Amino acid sequence: MKKTIFYILSSLLFLLPALMLAVKSFTPVWKWGEPLSFEWTLRGWEVFLMDPRIYEALFVSILIALAVTFLNLMVGFLTGKALSHSVFKGKGLLETFLLLPLFIPTMAAALGLHITMIRLGLANQWLGVVIVHLVPTIPYTIKVMKAGYDRVGSGMIQQAKVLGGSPFHVFRSVELPLLMPSVRSAVFLTVTISMSQYVLTAVIGGGNVITLPIIYYPFLQSVNDTVMAAFSIAFAMLPVIAVAAVELLSKILTYKGTFVNRGVT
Amino acid sequence: MKKSLFLTPGILILALAGCTGQPSTSSSSDQTEQLSWDEIQQEAAGETVRMYMWGGDEGINQYMDEWVKPRLKEEYDVNFERIPLNTNEIIQKLETEKRAGQQEGTIDLIWMNGENFKRAKESSLLHGPFTEQIPNFQTYYDTESLDFTYDFGTETEGFEAPWGKVQFVFHYDSSKMDVPPSSLEELQEWIGENPGKFTYPAAGDFTGDAFIRHVLYGKTSSLEQLLEEPYSLDLVEEGAQEVWGYLNEIEPDLWRGGETYPSSLTELDRLYSQGEIWMTMGYNEARAEVLVEDGVFPETTESFILEEPGSIGNAHFLSIPFNSPNKEAAMAAINFMLSPEAQSVKLSQEYWGENTPIDFTTLNAEEKNRFDEIERGETVLDQQTLDDAFLPEIDAAYVPWLQEQWIDEVASE
Amino acid sequence: MKWHLNKQTTLLLVPAFLFLLLVLYSLVMSFVESVKGPDGWTLSYYQSLFEEERLYASFGYSLWITLISTALSIVIGWALVRSFHTFIENSLGKWILWIPMLFPHFVWGYFVLLLLGQSGVLSSVLFNLGWLESRSEFPVLVQDREGAGIIITYLWKEIPFVVLMLLPVYTQLPKQYGEVIQVLGGTKKEYFKTIEWPWVQPVIVEVFLIVTAFIFTAYEVPALLGVQFPQMTAVLAYDWFYGISWDERSFAFALLFMISVVMSLFALLSFLMLNRRRWLISKSQHQR
Repeated sequence: MKKTIFYILSSLLFLLPALMLAVKSFTPVWKWGEPLSFEWTLRGWEVFLMDPRIYEALFVSILIALAVTFLNLMVGFLTGKALSHSVFKGKGLLETFLLLPLFIPTMAAALGLHITMIRLGLANQWLGVVIVHLVPTIPYTIKVMKAGYDRVGSGMIQQAKVLGGSPFHVFRSVELPLLMPSVRSAVFLTVTISMSQYVLTAVIGGGNVITLPIIYYPFLQSVNDTVMAAFSIAFAMLPVIAVAAVELLSKILTYKGTFVNRGVT
Repeated sequence: MKKSLFLTPGILILALAGCTGQPSTSSSSDQTEQLSWDEIQQEAAGETVRMYMWGGDEGINQYMDEWVKPRLKEEYDVNFERIPLNTNEIIQKLETEKRAGQQEGTIDLIWMNGENFKRAKESSLLHGPFTEQIPNFQTYYDTESLDFTYDFGTETEGFEAPWGKVQFVFHYDSSKMDVPPSSLEELQEWIGENPGKFTYPAAGDFTGDAFIRHVLYGKTSSLEQLLEEPYSLDLVEEGAQEVWGYLNEIEPDLWRGGETYPSSLTELDRLYSQGEIWMTMGYNEARAEVLVEDGVFPETTESFILEEPGSIGNAHFLSIPFNSPNKEAAMAAINFMLSPEAQSVKLSQEYWGENTPIDFTTLNAEEKNRFDEIERGETVLDQQTLDDAFLPEIDAAYVPWLQEQWIDEVASE
Repeated sequence: MKWHLNKQTTLLLVPAFLFLLLVLYSLVMSFVESVKGPDGWTLSYYQSLFEEERLYASFGYSLWITLISTALSIVIGWALVRSFHTFIENSLGKWILWIPMLFPHFVWGYFVLLLLGQSGVLSSVLFNLGWLESRSEFPVLVQDREGAGIIITYLWKEIPFVVLMLLPVYTQLPKQYGEVIQVLGGTKKEYFKTIEWPWVQPVIVEVFLIVTAFIFTAYEVPALLGVQFPQMTAVLAYDWFYGISWDERSFAFALLFMISVVMSLFALLSFLMLNRRRWLISKSQHQR
């Protein structure tokens, strides 16, 4: 019963809107008061796919998101472990400070970051964009990864080390598989946040770095709902692709037949 | 794995530590001004010009990508890249770069006018003067014309070259009314008779500002002084009171009772396309044509202007930023975009449909013919009507003042 | 118990410190911009900022929208997790919850406009069904003075976020605790007070702070779905930031910097208090 209610509710509120956008991207502009027209059209997708920079934008968006995710996970694994498995003075304070970037308006950070990136010689380059995308993402990742290490505890890792595993070996066979749920959450959050950055990308990328939001944003001013819907659907598909890529990578990286897969959880 | 992790931040720290050194010399700003056109063409060949421009109109984007880009490559061997970005964000970017001392930027070409130009020029964000070096500008344009020597009251002084010319028109749905209003008073009457069917974009929007200026033109007693004398608040204050009076009088009968205003022209267009309101407006006399064709606007859409006070028109321009890395290529692109051929295609409905600032007396018969043959479409008023109603722009400095006042006097009341 | 950073831990924390350095440096640069006038250093922008009436109106409006959106998101999200957590984890349901997270805020804002505007799809459908005489009968849900459209968009986007943040907390809540209470004859209320609330409280506070900060400082959604007056503070800052006059630009820096400082201090204090409690809890757990 509960289950049914939940599925009805969540489908209505979350699945239906996505479906509606998908349908809208194939139907002509709906005029108020006229019956909804379902004369299928490819016009919206044509405009989307004909934009000469769209493929570059899709590629760059995914590339940046993956790079941001990679750096995020690096920092997340290390910092999460340190915050979870060691005790030192000022740990609580450090943890808090690492969350603070979430409380700074993007615009306030954008300008300072722009100056910083110009000084570093990274303004107008995709690497610069990757670095500034760390600001709104890393706090989440550290949080998620720390929670993950808290959950896993240090016992298993210690044990693997005692048994003589090299750090990388232990990472692949114990830490990664055990932390996979946290990694998934972190990847998802990072990718979606990175993909939705307009201001930071526009300012730091300076137009050299064309991502999907850079192309989409001017179209927010378009009255053509068909085109808008096509863009919107494309937006939602990118994180799915990126998450799938990370999932695949982790499968390759993890040993087949780890402790975990043998049922030792 | 861990090693590579420290690598990137390591570079970061090194770079942060050694960040004080800035390239001290500007690229070629001084030399560019000395070059002859042949030398400029030579320098430009093989280079890439990056044009930053507002990207919200498919027709304009396609004109640049499908028509300009390949021909520029063919004629000047210059590669063209269009980057969509709002003009105010472009200015902001240049300003930060200027402050941080970045002499080698990424923008080669900007499209703008009015208050953006004023700000860019006053903050020394532009390269120039350069228009004297552009052959097509010298040949085909009336370089002495006030339309080009002043941009919203700011002297252009060769820092921008005219690219297009537009006039403000209203659009209405002829299935909903027979005769559109022809003066501010008739408009007010019409609004009173059809409550909820009219509104205008808020101040701060390009089109909304222009609508408010039309009211100002109609209500002020010192229009000539406003147009001719330098910026002074004394001149505008009395007329402005009348403007707020008028706008507040019509407010209760506006869309949503004037509780709010569309924040952009797009929203106004959306309301019009849905039939929620019966009029829209815009700063391009031909813009309805494509929208009707795409089925966004009703097919019964037609244009009109207010004979009293008239229809404000202006030119928009192309400029080169101070830190453009390819100034010569930018100049080649400008020269091409100003050519009669490029201008006539821009005028045709195929892409954009926008009017040209070209001086027809300089054209030979064949060139002129090309312009004459263009059908601008049924929604576009004939040139004579537009010319008769033409009004120039006032000083750009009034624009932000009107915006501020509008919020205090109209929106927040 | 080690109190000082050992070598290994320090090494693990190097990237985190670098990250903090980047953020801090950028903030300082922003501050420098806010006190740099045409003729040298000045604090005048901060002063005249407080004379702007628009700012006060926008503060009140922003606070109202922020708090109501945040509170409702958390209450509804929390309620959902409490009733459904037993089967959301590891099921299709979790993926459905991710859907709105896939779309950036501005895309979702556009969707709300498309669906709930007076000329929107819903209004049109109701009219076609004969339930509406004209579109003016449809309630004004977007671009209204009360900010309903903004709140709806945020709820839609933030509730799944709250659910996903709280879900692991509930799946990890040890079942034995509940059994203990039951065996000892405790009521549901007692269970909530002694077990559930202390267990979830830190996460609730954290989510509250994150969502509050985000809504207060984001401008895309209110810019799309708000009214001309009053405006949310972030929209005002954006208008000033990209505005025409030099003064306004400096206003924007001053305003943004002030928001950063106030928000950070607020968060810092809350977390410090929270951490103290957490530390006490973990200490008592060690003693067990």
